[in-house]
Amino acid sequence: MDLFGNLGKIFNASLIYATFRASTPIIFAALCAAITQQANILNIGTEGIMLVGAFTAVAVSYTTGSWILGVLAAMMGGACIAMIMAVGHIKYNSEICAIGMGINLFAIAITKFLMNVIFHTNGTFSDPGIIAIPRVHIPFLDNIPVLDTLLNNWCFTEWFVIIFIIVLQYIFYKTVWGLRLRAVGQFPMAAQAAGINVNAMKYQAMLISGLIGGLAGAHLSLGYSTQFVENMTNSRGFMGVAAMYFGGANPVLTAVGCLLFGFADSVGARLQAYGFPAQFVLLMPYLVTVLVLAVSMAIKLNAAKKRESSLIVHGTR
Amino acid sequence: MNEYVIEMKNIVKTFGEVQAVKHGEFTLRRGEIHSLIGENGAGKSTMMKLLYGMYPINSGSIVINGENITKLDPKIAISHGVGMVHQEFMLVSDLTVLENVILGFEPKKGIGIDYEKAKRDAQQYIDQYNMEIQLDKKVSQISVGEAQRVEIIKTLMRGVEIIILDEPTAVLTPQETRKLFEILGNLKAEGKSLVFISHKLNEVMEISDRITVMRQGEYMGTVDKDKTTPLDLTKRMIGREVFLNIDKTYSKIGSTILEVKDAWIPSPKETSKIRGISLHVNEGEIVGVAGIDGNGQSELVEAITGLRRVEKGNILLNGKDITNMSPRKIRDTGLAHIPEDRNTRGLNRGISIENNLIAVQIDESSFNKGIVLDTVAQDKYAAQLVKDFDIRPTDYKTLTSSLSGGNAQKVVVAREVSMKKKLLIASQPTRGVDIGAIEAIRNTLEKAKKDGAGVLLISAELEEIISLSDRIIVMHEGKITGELPAGEANENNLGLLMMGGMTDTSEAGKGAVTL
Repeated sequence: MDLFGNLGKIFNASLIYATFRASTPIIFAALCAAITQQANILNIGTEGIMLVGAFTAVAVSYTTGSWILGVLAAMMGGACIAMIMAVGHIKYNSEICAIGMGINLFAIAITKFLMNVIFHTNGTFSDPGIIAIPRVHIPFLDNIPVLDTLLNNWCFTEWFVIIFIIVLQYIFYKTVWGLRLRAVGQFPMAAQAAGINVNAMKYQAMLISGLIGGLAGAHLSLGYSTQFVENMTNSRGFMGVAAMYFGGANPVLTAVGCLLFGFADSVGARLQAYGFPAQFVLLMPYLVTVLVLAVSMAIKLNAAKKRESSLIVHGTR
Repeated sequence: MNEYVIEMKNIVKTFGEVQAVKHGEFTLRRGEIHSLIGENGAGKSTMMKLLYGMYPINSGSIVINGENITKLDPKIAISHGVGMVHQEFMLVSDLTVLENVILGFEPKKGIGIDYEKAKRDAQQYIDQYNMEIQLDKKVSQISVGEAQRVEIIKTLMRGVEIIILDEPTAVLTPQETRKLFEILGNLKAEGKSLVFISHKLNEVMEISDRITVMRQGEYMGTVDKDKTTPLDLTKRMIGREVFLNIDKTYSKIGSTILEVKDAWIPSPKETSKIRGISLHVNEGEIVGVAGIDGNGQSELVEAITGLRRVEKGNILLNGKDITNMSPRKIRDTGLAHIPEDRNTRGLNRGISIENNLIAVQIDESSFNKGIVLDTVAQDKYAAQLVKDFDIRPTDYKTLTSSLSGGNAQKVVVAREVSMKKKLLIASQPTRGVDIGAIEAIRNTLEKAKKDGAGVLLISAELEEIISLSDRIIVMHEGKITGELPAGEANENNLGLLMMGGMTDTSEAGKGAVTL
């Protein structure tokens, strides 16, 4: 069969970068969801925050000619959207999923509307005037075959995401802020009893989440591609949320989950060329996610059952 | 210098309509263990939460170390050297023990947390008081006893001199309790002053220097441990007056309707686990289960009604094995159940009185015409029950959310009793209702018995158990510590059985009590 004859073309060194490239927007989105998840807020609005970020980045980059301003504006835009959610959820106690979905629908509509008003176009806005996030060219890798394919000409934000995963991991698990954030998320009463301002922590988490979500969007429209397309996030925000669950809001594990999506995405794209139904391949990471979550849940439930059992006498050591 | 580190005088505290503390008095000497005892709802926990600043007092004065404190919250209390170990642990289970201990005042090194210093500090206290604590484990992986020691370390790390322990032994096994008492002894030797809230007399008699008794929000006096007896304390705690009397009828005892045979029932709480319990209820009798809340009564009821798994043993209803059957099937076999918490299992407060009244019979043919509900029949039935049970308001279309506790409970009782099942499980049937409703509900139970039903009555109110039951079973830490005919029961012997430990174990089951 043709497919097996071409395995070497599908699984080669360039697949590694392709996987990472496809994963990066999802990783940013997942980190956006992870930080609020640590405060026990399910940021289902990641998709919408990201889309607003993507549009803002393109719009500002195009009008100012600066990708840095584009990225910063996107982060601001994301933060604004996140703060709307934060006020609704924390101050007015409304259901976060409802606000999140509202934000997602709002984001699709507002970006479509603004594209029409500002750029007088529908569907796609692509223009040489959009300044993309630069790629990092490492000259001495040019002549090293494998490393050149693997590491050269990465987008600036692709390098950044690696640093960012590590930084976030450190913040969550090694700093005072991270410890308090986790305490707030897991048992707010205990946090409050320890003198921590629970709501302030939640606002901070939402704000930072918005900044990251905006950055995710900016990377999508100025790094991953150089254009804005209607609904261009295409469920990457939701995939990020799924990956966040997969990784239990732990940045490193979450990123691993994202790589799974990215891997399926790029393999699927290649398989498609050989007539393999890409939908099936795309389905795999979700299937894996369901299985992993089911197994871990079963283990947890079984442990709880054992703890409660009257048949087992728990020693006092 | 002042003799007392704490002086609370003329304390009054109300929550809405409820007077939790009508007149509270409490003093604490430096380096003493002072027990605060009383029944559930006597106001002892509230008194100490007031001292810890969790709620403001309505009137009275709180003096800490000679300083009159007018504004109080937990932070201020800690800064005055008062710490509290809550009944429900304030620990984040997914964090490590060390992280929990330092939460809120973490030592820093650069931008990170100085875990090394934190560990050294915590270890110093652990060694000083000879506690066994594994700092690197997650809280979810340690035992309740250890979690409690973590709570104590937490207060110590905040530099407190006065530690309030709210029913610390309620969740502990006897072995863990021993360990806790050793630690409390060490703390006392170091000059810390301790408040020990409890309703277990044997523990109180063992550990205290002085004992303060509260009853129904009132201060009932403070005594030196050496100058009192468990009997004296029981009298002060429970009082003598029985304010409701039911004309007890002795109906003809029929055949066995419920039989629990060596049932093993799980529970998240160690003291509520049931490791082998056997009992039976006959037609035409009320069997009362007395015991302090959380000693396995809820688990027993849940197991009988199919709401909790039975791990070993059998439960027979009317001769039929109903072990681990669905609640619905068990009900159909012939059981009615008044759940202990009307707001979670008894009622749907969002729907009308009528809908609640027919909720368990909604699919019966008498309330349906084919696939359509027979609203006429339902209205008629609801109107009849509202009248029979004197439920107010009488408009049965009213939402249950607007009902008072007493009327809401009457709805539950009306629904369950009017089905005329062979077995009626009544769990805390009069909890939190007014006196009028208490009387009505008790008369209803009495009538169900007269009509030939077997009734299993679970109540924390001794007086209710004694006045209604024909036979009384006492539970303590998941075991039956005694069984007496109602005629031989009184507050003293039941009270002692409820506290466990005071019985001559060889005679347990025959209800022999050594005073």
